[in-house]
Amino acid sequence: MESILALTHVDESGSLTKASLEIVTAAAELASRLGASLTMGIVAPDAKTAATTPAPAGARLLAVTGEAFAQARYASDAAACEALCRAAQATIVLAPTGSRFARVLAGVAYRLGGVIDTHLTAIGGAESVEATRWFYRQRIEGILSREARPWFLLLEAGTHAAFTADSADAQVEQVPVELPALRTTVSGLRAPAQGAQTIRPDAKLLFVAGAGWTKKQSDGKVHAAEAGELILGFLRLAGASLGSSKSLVDQGGDGQPVLPFLTHMNQIGQTGATPRHAKGLSTCCHGEEPHVVGWRFIGERRAISLDPNCGWTRGKADVVYVADAFEVMAKLNGLLDAHKG
Amino acid sequence: MGNALHVVVCAGTVPDPLQTLEPITGPNGPGVKNEMMLPAVLDPWAASALYEAANLVARNPGSKVWLVSLGSKAKLQQVMMAVAQKVSFELVPIDGPIGGFTDAHATAAVLAEAIAALPGLNRERLLLFGGWESATRGAGVTLQLVGERLGIIDQFQGVDQIEFREDGSFEVLERVEGGKHQASVCMGTPAVLGWATGNLAEPRNNPQTGMANMRTIMPALQKAKPAALQADGLHYISVALPKQHRTTRIEKDMTPDAIARELVEWIGAE
Amino acid sequence: MSSGMNMKEAGAAEPIERMTMEVDIACAGFGPAMGGFLTTLTRAWNENPTDPAFESKTAPGMPLQVLCYERADDLSAGVSGVVTRAKGIRASFPELNPAEIPMAVEVQKERVLYLLDPVGASRRSFTLRAADAVLRRLGRTLGIRDHAFELPWTPGFLHKQGGLVLSIGQFNQWVGAQVMASGLVQIWPGTPVSQPLIAGKAVKGVRLADQGVDKYGMPADGFMAGMDVRARLTVVGDGPVGAVGRAIDEQLGVPEGHARLEWALGMKMVIELPENSELEPGTVWHTFGFPEPEIFGFLYVHPERLASVGIFVPSWLGDPSRTAYRYLQHYIQHPALWRHLKDGNLRSWGAKSLDESGRIGEPFLSGDGFARIGEGSGSTNMLTGSGVDEAWTTGVQLGEAVIELLRDGKPFSKESLAATYETRRRASWVERGAREAENARNGFRGGTVKGVIGMALAGLTGGRLSLRAKIPPPQKHSASPIAGLNPKKLATLAQAALAGGRPLHDALLSARGWPEIEFDGRLLVTQQDALLMGGKVQALPGFADHVTFHDTQLCATCIQKTCISMCSGQAIKLGADGLPAFEREKCVHCGACLWNCIQTGQSSRAHIDFRAGAGGLHSAEN
Repeated sequence: MESILALTHVDESGSLTKASLEIVTAAAELASRLGASLTMGIVAPDAKTAATTPAPAGARLLAVTGEAFAQARYASDAAACEALCRAAQATIVLAPTGSRFARVLAGVAYRLGGVIDTHLTAIGGAESVEATRWFYRQRIEGILSREARPWFLLLEAGTHAAFTADSADAQVEQVPVELPALRTTVSGLRAPAQGAQTIRPDAKLLFVAGAGWTKKQSDGKVHAAEAGELILGFLRLAGASLGSSKSLVDQGGDGQPVLPFLTHMNQIGQTGATPRHAKGLSTCCHGEEPHVVGWRFIGERRAISLDPNCGWTRGKADVVYVADAFEVMAKLNGLLDAHKG
Repeated sequence: MGNALHVVVCAGTVPDPLQTLEPITGPNGPGVKNEMMLPAVLDPWAASALYEAANLVARNPGSKVWLVSLGSKAKLQQVMMAVAQKVSFELVPIDGPIGGFTDAHATAAVLAEAIAALPGLNRERLLLFGGWESATRGAGVTLQLVGERLGIIDQFQGVDQIEFREDGSFEVLERVEGGKHQASVCMGTPAVLGWATGNLAEPRNNPQTGMANMRTIMPALQKAKPAALQADGLHYISVALPKQHRTTRIEKDMTPDAIARELVEWIGAE
Repeated sequence: MSSGMNMKEAGAAEPIERMTMEVDIACAGFGPAMGGFLTTLTRAWNENPTDPAFESKTAPGMPLQVLCYERADDLSAGVSGVVTRAKGIRASFPELNPAEIPMAVEVQKERVLYLLDPVGASRRSFTLRAADAVLRRLGRTLGIRDHAFELPWTPGFLHKQGGLVLSIGQFNQWVGAQVMASGLVQIWPGTPVSQPLIAGKAVKGVRLADQGVDKYGMPADGFMAGMDVRARLTVVGDGPVGAVGRAIDEQLGVPEGHARLEWALGMKMVIELPENSELEPGTVWHTFGFPEPEIFGFLYVHPERLASVGIFVPSWLGDPSRTAYRYLQHYIQHPALWRHLKDGNLRSWGAKSLDESGRIGEPFLSGDGFARIGEGSGSTNMLTGSGVDEAWTTGVQLGEAVIELLRDGKPFSKESLAATYETRRRASWVERGAREAENARNGFRGGTVKGVIGMALAGLTGGRLSLRAKIPPPQKHSASPIAGLNPKKLATLAQAALAGGRPLHDALLSARGWPEIEFDGRLLVTQQDALLMGGKVQALPGFADHVTFHDTQLCATCIQKTCISMCSGQAIKLGADGLPAFEREKCVHCGACLWNCIQTGQSSRAHIDFRAGAGGLHSAEN
């Protein structure tokens, strides 16, 4: 019989992260389907409050706690996860593919003689476990299974609903950890230097700016400043997250006018991010395949492009408006502003 | 600065991003159709790692870069023609299968063995570099596995910056959720850094660098050891192209006003 | 190798610091000719690597320092599927097994098809229409099927029996890998050579293109001045539009009476044939008659259900609306082809301009410190429609000559290269073929029927008989008025095209009765799709625009703007200011704009400059 461990961690407020709660749901579903035992593992400075949320799932609760675990750091997190896995005697370990666990769980899998698969978008199979993930940057979808155990399965965010139930008292078993000498200190988080927080993973809408924004417009001139104002204005008014094509962020190194608030962190596509948002609006972007693979997890897609033959028109977007994005965005911002007012 | 570094960069070759990819299933499991024919490039994130490594080495006298790459000799040779003019490195080629469907654990075992056997490598000064994910498997686990195998417990992923200090410690910026960076300070080497994009532009082609590199690259390729990957217990149930294809409505004659109105409604709709 | 810094730049406003490097042999361009040269050289060295003849003069104690620079980002980013008799290639590789080269196969079955016009929009002369009518009437007797008449036999001069169907991209890759593996030669793709280094009448090496510059070539972020690679011998194999070859012609002149007068634009697709395809690998079709009588076409079947299908739009198609892409889309839909291609998928796409001047366009083959090989040296045989094998063989001949000179300890001077390389070439089948073909296509100046007769005459008599013609310079070819359209109608069309964001030539073809292409997303796709899905065209930042217009006043007054009509990648488009605007990211480096600008004749120099640039096609299946 499989023994499932759901690995979770807390945010700054001490509650389980949303991605962790999604894992609680996924693990409960899988345990029920396989008739497997279920354990929840929590990594936190203090797990008392956090444990009350998954407690109603009825699983055994394990925690590694202490100040060393307030920071996301390889040496301490790997030791914590290793201890939880050993204590749970897990054969299947589920965890979110967030930065914290993605950093350490491959190492932990190695320490336990196990194997790992990441970025899973589904876990299927009737009596066995079948993991679905993308290969070649969201271009080929594969389903795989493994015989080796323990098997670490890291799920993408948004594949399951976050676990919700009324909080309940929790019996948490503390798992002791022997930490190695810690050589790394986490100093904290840094937002982009420009102060413009343009990446918002929780936003409903992704707004993507393509290279057309900084190309010559119909008057033969480049209007980078105006483009910047329109884009930032829209992000503020619509609460959208900002993505970019590679060609636009690459312009930073090419001596062309650039949008100063864009960095490679905004880049969507083959060599960029593959974010998850309900909707996506592309502007001034041709919709080439290497970029569009980054839209794999965007629900509804619309595009504004001057090119009626751009890539978006061929089954990559739901609606393509053949129009000047400068004009449309100015009108759009005006309407959104009026609505807010 | 007196930090003589030994930087080992793990980097694979991947199909040029613009190529059309189509999965096929052969006797050895799934693969990409015509993979040997498609033009290849150095994995983009691993390439960032290589450029960052070269930059570090340039600023720290006495340092050295090795580029450890597992792949078919023919592909490696082809990719080296494009990469070797950019920065100086010593190529450590391992002749073996590459691609998204090979097992990361087996790949890591082969890479770790090759790195451990590098003549002249000082493991205390080691910075193990690579891409935080590849453009093939994209799992982001190989480098950690190699690091663990080499006993390195200071690991960083999604790195965009490393800044060395006088005392040999260094600060690392790692990408975390929400477009932010986590800043950490590590007391010193050895460490594993899986690079995201970094901050360096792609170096220009320097014919002299290329010429010097190629003198060692070609003999290294000739002597590349074959490696067989063990993939115990990994089964592919299916590999397929996505079928998602949308019916696109193309609006050619709407005024900006009308488009804006429609978009406001769309953005607001739940 | 030795290196240094060259601080002074003749003619530059400010001295540019330019690194220099000394090598024995510097090569510009890696194609079949260079493949032949480097294969011959490395083979000889491999037989005896300690042979003192192969000791470097620039790096004593080391073997010969041989560098080859190629513009394309990958050696496999070639542009064509070809059929070749492979006489020269097989001479270099007597044990050649085509299965070793992806997409290669031996020629099995050849057909020559005359394609009738099922659309009715083709510009056919009265004579041709009459002939077509006769053919149609005798259809059943002559076995006409799918609007195609198969010639009962393939003329000897056209047949490629025993030859190979190749993908030049894959062939280059295969040759390049072997040459590199020898360890003697380094080939560097993604490295354009901007110009030869000329001193007096001698070529002293090559200058690489500047990197880290803006579109105008001015230093920008990460500027790196192109290095001067000084060499004892410069081997020029950069093709008919290569910057090095053209600069040598401009500065050292061409032989008396020689000129490049004719050219063609070749454009093709690599198509994955439908699963039930009956076309066998090794099948070769030559076609003529459709979409225009002057346009020759081809279908070559590679292994694994891949086929190269394409057309050649010749310079004598004197019409400014000659858009190769639109014609290619009509071509593949001809019933004789479409029956096999329908339900296929586009794997690759590409275009290239070809020097079709033959021997009359031959430059000086060698001089002090340099030698020319391949297509840019006028080796293409216009009678047999063969260029790859000839190019390869000229490379082999130079390779043999260089080995002889090295062994004899002689310099790479004009005299010694003439005595070795040129002598070999003149005595070879390449030269005999070139002489036979010299006037084979003259007849086409008087129309297709006359052209075919002239070609047959030359082909069947070994060039002893041919038609005479006076051939104007290339830019004059497309300067003819837009046939059958009054200025008022033209103006209306131009206005409508402009408003619809559509090129004029597209509108003109539609106006002439060519049906609109109904895009199906598979083979019938927009030109931009062909670029992205097929050619995978891209350009790295940091290089200057390689296509520039000297005098925009001339562009403003030019009605035809053939540069836009014929641009294979739609990289030259009509800008908002009414002038042609170049987008480097879309250029496939076919070089058509260099040949076809009708304004060139108006000024004292070529009006469009086509310089060395990086990027282009990224497809390896070409």
